Amino acid sequence: MTDPRHLAGHAGWLTPNPPHQVDFVPTSLTRAPTGVDTFDTERMVLNMGPQHPSTHGVLRLLIEMDGEEVVAAEAVAGYLHRGIEKLAEHRRYNAVGTLMDRGDYMSGIHNELAFALAAEKLMEVEVPRRAQWLRVLMSEINRIASHLVWYGTFGLDTGAMGQFLYAVRDREVLLDILEDVTGQRMMFNYVRPGGVVADITTSAVDKIQAFLATIDMYLDEHDALLGGNEIFQARTRGIGVLDKETATAFGLTGANLRASGLGFDVRRDRPYAAYDEMRFSVPVAEEGDCYARYLVRMGELRQAVAMVRQCIDGLPEGEHTAKVAKVLRPPAGEAYAAVESPRGELGVHLVSDGTEHPYRMRYRPPALYALQAAEAILPGTMIADVVVILGSVDVVLGEIDR
Amino acid sequence: MALDKLAGENSLLFIRSEQLFDWARRRSLWYMAFGIACCAIEGLMHASGPRFDFDRHGVFFRASPRQADVMIVAGTVNHKMAATVRRLYDQMPEPKWVIAMGACANTGGPFREYPNVVLGVDKIVPVDVYIPGCPPRPESVQYGFFQLMDKISEQTEGRLAARHGNSR
Amino acid sequence: MRPDTATVDRFLSHAGVSDVEIDSASMLGVVCRVAPAQTKQMLCALKGEGDGFDFLVDLFGIDTGEAVDVVYHLRSFSRDEEIYVKVALPYGADLASVWEIHPAALMPERECAEMFGLTLSGHPNPKHLLLTKGSRPALLKSERIRTAEEVRDR
Repeated sequence: MTDPRHLAGHAGWLTPNPPHQVDFVPTSLTRAPTGVDTFDTERMVLNMGPQHPSTHGVLRLLIEMDGEEVVAAEAVAGYLHRGIEKLAEHRRYNAVGTLMDRGDYMSGIHNELAFALAAEKLMEVEVPRRAQWLRVLMSEINRIASHLVWYGTFGLDTGAMGQFLYAVRDREVLLDILEDVTGQRMMFNYVRPGGVVADITTSAVDKIQAFLATIDMYLDEHDALLGGNEIFQARTRGIGVLDKETATAFGLTGANLRASGLGFDVRRDRPYAAYDEMRFSVPVAEEGDCYARYLVRMGELRQAVAMVRQCIDGLPEGEHTAKVAKVLRPPAGEAYAAVESPRGELGVHLVSDGTEHPYRMRYRPPALYALQAAEAILPGTMIADVVVILGSVDVVLGEIDR
Repeated sequence: MALDKLAGENSLLFIRSEQLFDWARRRSLWYMAFGIACCAIEGLMHASGPRFDFDRHGVFFRASPRQADVMIVAGTVNHKMAATVRRLYDQMPEPKWVIAMGACANTGGPFREYPNVVLGVDKIVPVDVYIPGCPPRPESVQYGFFQLMDKISEQTEGRLAARHGNSR
Repeated sequence: MRPDTATVDRFLSHAGVSDVEIDSASMLGVVCRVAPAQTKQMLCALKGEGDGFDFLVDLFGIDTGEAVDVVYHLRSFSRDEEIYVKVALPYGADLASVWEIHPAALMPERECAEMFGLTLSGHPNPKHLLLTKGSRPALLKSERIRTAEEVRDR
């Protein structure tokens, strides 16, 4: 028994006879074999997340596919929205750092620093030089820790496993240093308006020295392990190309923008803390693909190590914080301060009305802009490259959702 | 209880099936790789990293809820996320346990005042072990897993005692 | 960093935009205030032809108590200058999308609209970004957060 409808759709292999004229049908088949002469595939919508091992948090992606090719993609955020901007309006200036830490939880120091800089701009406080240098030191240590997570998980996205364990090994050393100085492994609340909360300890200096003695060797190891891997290069070279126009149109900043050929770095072009006294270069790549983003971040790791070295060698004497009131009441006004976080330009737009609570705090999330740029280039790529592209732009959902 | 130490070669060992399952379950608590927020870095990433290496306790991550025994709720759960957390819990096979890791999963943490945040994950799924901290150190999570292991064996013993009492 | 008013005037007069209130004394930098109907024209004028403010740094709202101020923070990499455009929208008003001028506005606009209870027009995907459908606009000053009692008796 044959249903002629099955034949009708695949007339190609049966031509020249139209389906209704076919007199030969193998009786053992209840359904005619489907033709393979064309790639007429059906469209399919795939849901990735919010629980998915390679979406870097609770990102949800809706992908419409034609075969293995992505036709349309939509990123759904908001699964970690917890109202940092709203709650900041109900916190005192010194306590907002607690919320900021938990925004971009990979790089807490940068978040606190952005808020402290904005508050200091409003209050016009002079921050002691030692505090400025300590801010740079801790920022760069935090940047290495954050980039190591990115390096480890980006390798996981491309199918490698070993580098993740090496990255965590090095990160543990950095977290020990951060814990020694700030008292916490991840949520530091260390940078406050006016300076930093505690001076660096001698044991932390020893730990940093020990870390600096080995890190160059380890970075070479990391570079050889992942970047030198042929499979990794095949998975990332030419994949997810964000050209300069797309990158600027979608508001990309930081390492992602520099990998697309535009060398804007807040540390160099809008210096804050003691970055104008540091000697460092800004790695830039032209290709704009995932491998370029890898190269730029690995270059940044080396620059960060160089800056940590400068800070330890040349840390000026003095106070670690300015004399500021216990309850801060900045004069009414608006200020914008930006820092170069590992994910890009992290800005805080602070509006004060003269009371002890901020009137409005806007947190510019660099990863949100990176996410929409990645979302825009997903159509046309293969499904296997989706996680690679998302991993390469380094999204942190705590920051996207706030 | 290591079986090979208790029982020599060519020997017989009598054990209640519950005790055998209990022994097996306590030694292979596979958790679901489901990190919500900051706690995931400490409780899931660093926990499986080289320093803490939870694998030596048989605690290892699985990507799918259908292969997992334990769900570590590591982060703030908001109203958009709540349905997903419940669904993931429902997808896990019995027996299953839940660890609420960190202040947010326990009570809402620093974000408890925001109306969109669920005040503790125990509003959505039953929780076995609460770990305080923001975020808890990996050592705390390790201790939490030991508490869970004790709890599992206590439950087994309690069940056995109850049945023993009934049959007599 | 901070453009001089002559530069801004040149951009605006070139594109024929008038009725712009320019405040260059603010701590923020140069802040231009325009009427809601003129937003697109203003952003186009500032974008210029390859030499203008073509990078949208950020887009967000501020509840001033009388209206919602939507702030467009723009930057020019070639000139190395930044400028702010502020538009005061009444509560519940319509936020016209500027994604054709600055694609970077796609997601921030969705966020701004849901957080301040504005409607979004001309947007290819005008859904909520962060909150679930039907949620209250959280960032309005009239929206309360949970009290200590509510948190305690959770």
